[in-house]
Amino acid sequence: MANAKLWGLKKSPWVFHVAAASCNNCDIEILDILTPRWDVERFGIVLVGSPRHADALLVTGVLNRKSLPRVLRVYEQTPKPCLVIGVGSCTCHPHIFEPSYNVIGPYDKYIPVDVYIPGCPPKPEAIIMGVVKALKRL
Amino acid sequence: MMKGYSKKILEEISTKFPEVSVKIHARRRTYIRVPKDRVYDFAKYLFEEKRFRLATATGIDTRDGMEILYHFSQDAAGTYYTIKTVIPKDDLKIKSLAPFLPAANWIEREMHELLGIDFVGHPNLKPLLTAETWPSCLHPLRRDYADEHKDIKVSKKP
Repeated sequence: MANAKLWGLKKSPWVFHVAAASCNNCDIEILDILTPRWDVERFGIVLVGSPRHADALLVTGVLNRKSLPRVLRVYEQTPKPCLVIGVGSCTCHPHIFEPSYNVIGPYDKYIPVDVYIPGCPPKPEAIIMGVVKALKRL
Repeated sequence: MMKGYSKKILEEISTKFPEVSVKIHARRRTYIRVPKDRVYDFAKYLFEEKRFRLATATGIDTRDGMEILYHFSQDAAGTYYTIKTVIPKDDLKIKSLAPFLPAANWIEREMHELLGIDFVGHPNLKPLLTAETWPSCLHPLRRDYADEHKDIKVSKKP
């Protein structure tokens, strides 16, 4: 069954969007890649409404004390194997938010992240390229 | 309607509330310094009689005490009237505006948890932004806050 799942994942990755306290710019770029201009649905990439239907998680924003339990909950609900794609510079490193009382460091301390897409926000082309690179690794 | 503050309103304010001092900062922004115990009545007057809208409120920890600014907007004239009040640090209490002004509800909760100001009469003073495990005695936006969060364990459960 794992192979069937993997085949489905590579053929048509369904993504769930986890906004873990981002500033919304990455979220807007993620919505951009669904518009007719980039239209990732022609590659089978569909944004789904529940993590239980998802093959990949698009996480955005700096991880903090309030959002960590929510992100972990969503990650636990996602069927494995699943991809975790960090969208935006905030997922790579907290940067200027590091001294904050609420910020708790990088994502890969808590969940395995397959690919990071830097940029503030990353261009839609970069997000598509990141997802493709993550799929190539499988 | 002319954009900018209206002399009529400012005159009405100073006759009705002689204890406040008005400072015209710019054509479209005035600061009104109000004593702590008159803020409730003054805000009620601005909201219910003048029909101003509470845009937001801000709290700052200054040397003289905790400063709260309630920014009221007169939308038709594009003008802000800001209530400015200072609360002494040894008695951080002020009457809440939330009972008659729903817009003040969340911002007062936020000031309560981040600065430690006690809003008397607030219907629901639960923490809003900080994590569920955050100790309620720690107020991270205060001047005397010094990285106490480094000792607090990160919780994986809400």
